[in-house]
Amino acid sequence: MKIDFSEAKWHILFIILVLLLIYPLLFAVSTSFKTMEEAYSSSALIPAAPTFSAYERVFTTIHFVQILSNTFIIASIVTLFKLVTALFAAYAFVFFRFRWKTPLYFLLISTIFIPFTVTMIPNYMTLTKAGLIDNIYGVALPQLADATGIFLLRQYMKGIPSSLMEVAELDHVSHWMRLRTIVVPIIRPAILSIGIIFFINSWNDYVWPAIMIKSEANYTLSLALQMFVSSEGGTDIPVAMAVASLTMLLPLGLYAVCQKFIIGTFAQSGIK
Amino acid sequence: MYSIELKNVKKVFGKTEVIKGLDLSIQKGERLILLGSSGCGKSTLLRLISGLESITSGELFLNGELANSMAPGDRNIAMVFQNYALFPHMDVTRNISYGLRISHTPQDEISRRVGEAVRILNLGGLEHRLPRELSGGQRQRVALARALVKQSDFFLLDEPLSNLDAQLRGQARKELVKIHEIYHQTMVYVTHDQIEAMTIGQRIAVVHNGCIQMLDTPANVYHRPSNTFVARFIGSPSMNLFDARLDTGYMHLNGHEVRMTEGWSGKTALHGQPVEAGIRPEAIVLSAEPSEGAVPVSVQYHEDYGSRVGYYFTVNGKEVISIMPEDILNGCTQAFWKVDPKALHFFDAASGSNIGYPE
Repeated sequence: MKIDFSEAKWHILFIILVLLLIYPLLFAVSTSFKTMEEAYSSSALIPAAPTFSAYERVFTTIHFVQILSNTFIIASIVTLFKLVTALFAAYAFVFFRFRWKTPLYFLLISTIFIPFTVTMIPNYMTLTKAGLIDNIYGVALPQLADATGIFLLRQYMKGIPSSLMEVAELDHVSHWMRLRTIVVPIIRPAILSIGIIFFINSWNDYVWPAIMIKSEANYTLSLALQMFVSSEGGTDIPVAMAVASLTMLLPLGLYAVCQKFIIGTFAQSGIK
Repeated sequence: MYSIELKNVKKVFGKTEVIKGLDLSIQKGERLILLGSSGCGKSTLLRLISGLESITSGELFLNGELANSMAPGDRNIAMVFQNYALFPHMDVTRNISYGLRISHTPQDEISRRVGEAVRILNLGGLEHRLPRELSGGQRQRVALARALVKQSDFFLLDEPLSNLDAQLRGQARKELVKIHEIYHQTMVYVTHDQIEAMTIGQRIAVVHNGCIQMLDTPANVYHRPSNTFVARFIGSPSMNLFDARLDTGYMHLNGHEVRMTEGWSGKTALHGQPVEAGIRPEAIVLSAEPSEGAVPVSVQYHEDYGSRVGYYFTVNGKEVISIMPEDILNGCTQAFWKVDPKALHFFDAASGSNIGYPE
């Protein structure tokens, strides 16, 4: 077999990059199966004596199921509401005619560029007044609508030929039914993959829950992880890595199942 | 009472006046064609009738009722779009029955109407296919079926055949007329194709620059064009137009004299006036041998269409085309041309409108 060296050098570069990217992942998974002593003394990727003791400690030292369900509830609420509000808003921006439509849209899109840290404190103060501090619904509340979702769904809706909507208009179909029976089915793959991205982002969110949540019963997975590695938390690295491994299970699983949609959504546009 | 009536209707997009104060009355059950080149305003006119665009000024009456501000869904209109506008995620049956399902028509009525449309449009066996699994002709028929099952008063079609190949188009034309004869809806059909206009239309409205240039039967639009625009637009190749002058018994055409038929000599008011004379290519007779009144020309180019042959030559710097049933020159360039005086059209030199025909 002939080797094309001009291509080979790129393959070598990419293989190195992939190894660099995957190494922390493999490190986390392998460390979670090590004893505490081995975790500190060896950096081998294969544990000398694999053990489940770190996982046992996860379930005995923290309320893992409670924390898992907190994370799941927040991510589900945030994803569902972001999608629904984005669907309605994008539909209005694409299919309604109203004054100041374009300026309003650009105003809305500009909020994407406001750093999280700017709104963090005002949101915190508001939620304190509302008595929603240390409450998982308080974490979800300021994230129920999102301009990124509106932007992405609007792009997909614009790909729907206007004649399809006009057929419905001539058939006296209400906007609600046009959204339900035409728009949503056509852009379903886009809705799915945008939803997955919302879900994973919320699942991995750390800073905002860290500000809002005080008691362990209301923790999310990323806060639980911090219990085992922070200065006040401790230094049980195998347990921390076990929590990390468990945290990435669901997003990875979701991606594995839906990768066809996700890749498709970002690779192609519209319905043709 | 007219089925559709437009009175001084205008449509302005920004600063562009697309429809310029247009009047049009359409009889119930009529097949009316809006014919024009792209950008002439014919599709806009159709969209004004459907309500998908709003009228800037003027009045639109549907079945005698003022409809200017009526919602499109209240106008009882079915429309077929150029791109067919089929729902990509619904199979043929669900596409056809969409409007009926949304309006909660009883299930047995839906099945009856869909079944009938499927039968009339030859869609049997395709009921469960998605649009992407259909050919262009089949998609077009599904779009027609979806419009038919509404059983609406008005049937609007926006260039429905322009995405089909020539053979299918001929078949679809016949189908459309057949369907109209079953349902007798008021049909407004937009096209840029004059063959479609001539074969489908009971009347043709020739639209140009947001105005109707002529509104008449296909035969009259072809044989009695109201002005030079219609004369040039209808017929392929286009009608030849010459600067000419009428005289007693004669027409002076670029220095040649053509003997006129009886009727024209009576129109003494026109004598001496500059006019534009229109002659269809078929009415210019070319021959290889000289004959009385024939003028010699040198043919520059010829096109063999199979069923007929076209010859191009110039008369006083103006290109003229003659169509003959068969090749009469056999490669020769020297020929003699003659005009059939019965087939002449005269237009006012200034306004371009038709002067009339001999009685």
